[in-house]
Amino acid sequence: MIYIYDGSFNGLLTAVFEAYYRHEEPAEIRTVINHQINILDDTSYIATDTDKASRVYEAIVLKISEYCLQDIYYTYLSNFEDSGTLVYRYLKLGFSVGKKLNMYQAHESVIAVRNIVYKVMGERHRLLGLLRFSKLDCGVYYAPVSPDHNVLELLAPHFAERMGDQDWIIHDTKRKTAAVCKSGTWYMTDFDSNQYDMVKENEADYQAFWSSYYKNINITERSNINLQKRNMPVRYWKYLTEKQVN
Amino acid sequence: MDIMDKLQILSAAAKYDVSCSSSGSSRKNMPGGLGNGHQSGICHSFSEDGRCISLLKILFSNDCIFNCAYCVNRSTNDLPRASFTPEEVVQLTMNFYRRNYIEGLFLSSAVVKNPDHTMELMVNTIEKLRLEYRFNGYIHLKVIPGANPSLISKAGLYADRLSVNIELPSNKSLKLLAPQKNTDSILKPMNLIKTGIIQRAEEHKSFRRVPAFAPAGQSTQLIVGATPENDLSILRLSEGLYNRYKLKRVYYSAYVPVSSKSLILPNSAPPLLREHRLYQADWLLRFYGFKADEILNESFQNLDISLDPKSDWALRNPGIFPLEINKADYQMILRIPGIGVKTAQRIVAARRVQKLDYDDLKKMGAVLKRARYFITCKGKYHGGINLDSELVRYGLSASFKLEEANNSNWEQISMFQPVPALSASY
Repeated sequence: MIYIYDGSFNGLLTAVFEAYYRHEEPAEIRTVINHQINILDDTSYIATDTDKASRVYEAIVLKISEYCLQDIYYTYLSNFEDSGTLVYRYLKLGFSVGKKLNMYQAHESVIAVRNIVYKVMGERHRLLGLLRFSKLDCGVYYAPVSPDHNVLELLAPHFAERMGDQDWIIHDTKRKTAAVCKSGTWYMTDFDSNQYDMVKENEADYQAFWSSYYKNINITERSNINLQKRNMPVRYWKYLTEKQVN
Repeated sequence: MDIMDKLQILSAAAKYDVSCSSSGSSRKNMPGGLGNGHQSGICHSFSEDGRCISLLKILFSNDCIFNCAYCVNRSTNDLPRASFTPEEVVQLTMNFYRRNYIEGLFLSSAVVKNPDHTMELMVNTIEKLRLEYRFNGYIHLKVIPGANPSLISKAGLYADRLSVNIELPSNKSLKLLAPQKNTDSILKPMNLIKTGIIQRAEEHKSFRRVPAFAPAGQSTQLIVGATPENDLSILRLSEGLYNRYKLKRVYYSAYVPVSSKSLILPNSAPPLLREHRLYQADWLLRFYGFKADEILNESFQNLDISLDPKSDWALRNPGIFPLEINKADYQMILRIPGIGVKTAQRIVAARRVQKLDYDDLKKMGAVLKRARYFITCKGKYHGGINLDSELVRYGLSASFKLEEANNSNWEQISMFQPVPALSASY
């Protein structure tokens, strides 16, 4: 049996709920987008039900832990096609062992989820540093990103806390979504920009200052490009001010 | 001189300062303010030397009255001189921060006129940032040796981290290369900062609202390879700084020749691998419960360049190994080469619900290439070669593959023994 859900977090939790109450063991839990229809598969479409989802949500916190909830949310945000199935298996173990879940560090399901959580957390942390804002003519600070995983809503609270006094937009150019912060509060929205390519005159100054600083802080006698690339993979260079050829 | 020229001169002049971290402070933002601290620190970029760029690291001025032989800014060196104004530093910091280029400011300086004058300019700058511009990002301020204690106390109110550079690993070297500095002028402010931090922590117990004093603690740096001190004396020095002065970090900086004509300084490439080994040993001191005298001793005064210090220590103490992964206590597991803090914690958690075998360890993050010689899993040894064999040292080095060694005729004796027979000579 393959469960198909709508791609929302609530949809995923509903699927976990259904598996439990139907006494079924779905082989996979997939999103509508990822699912390739095969007439030989036995599929069941799961309609998202916030009531059922919140029952699962609360049960996780109560019977397992807040950490477990965070783990499955991060896994859900990852770009791994099979993340739904991994979440399901992880929760199945979690509900059977309860609060002891964090001891099962050598269990297959735990390792699978942990590896993904590390990737998502790692990318979030990396982007906290590598995100680059530029000031637009209208005074808004604009930062484009194209992360591997859907980490936008994990980034936004950090910048809202830190730069709440400036209005900003973090634009996921891959998923065409954005986190927008206005007067200290932020929200997620669909977003496709072309009109934001224009940056202020003044902006060129600070971009030049920064690029110059970047060049001057390097010690040429210690050159180690491999280390640089390991710490800052080239796929993130696209939007780095200091890596634009002037 | 415009800002761009100053920035070029004063960032190039600051690049030999190795401290990059922005961790240890969880300073909160305030309404209408900009910035906050991030406990674990954030790297914002990496330069081509592979080092992290976290802070805007600049000198306030490079116009120095001192003439330290190892330093690029020494007074007799012929190079362009520049000084910022406090307002210029503030504008750069604020505008870089708003664009997420940086995590905060690292402000150091050459000694202009005299230590007090320099320190005052620097403290004024960060005071302006904090009070006038409501900046709450990270600030690391370098303390100028010989500056008035009251200025240092004031600096602690605004900076997250303070540091005094110890520069060279012994008083003798300091006298030789930096005649205007001495151990006293370095250790005194260090002690002052330590006392300030402890005092504020005490006050915090009785009063609710006490302004923090250098909440991210203090650090220092010393230059390696410019003078003849051995690694043992450097590690003992670091240990003393961690224990007695409560430092958060000691940074080691491989000496980069800054003058080709020097008679007293080496003119060779920076000893980068030695620096790397020192950092590894430093980690053993801070996170792995090692003592300096365990890592090295009078008969081994320098770290082995070809092997990491933990593996080297393990090979010199084969009597302790192999350790049974399902029984050994946490402190001992930490001492197994190839097993770090996270893996050790996972092992201790996991074995409460199951017995671990060799394959489990790999999935849990152990580097078996190194760990295999020092452990047993459910009583079984997976090292393949006898622990007291010289081949193990070779096996731990980077290019070794066990399979190839098995195919060669080197050491067939102990290949299939389940547990290595440890010789009595140790």
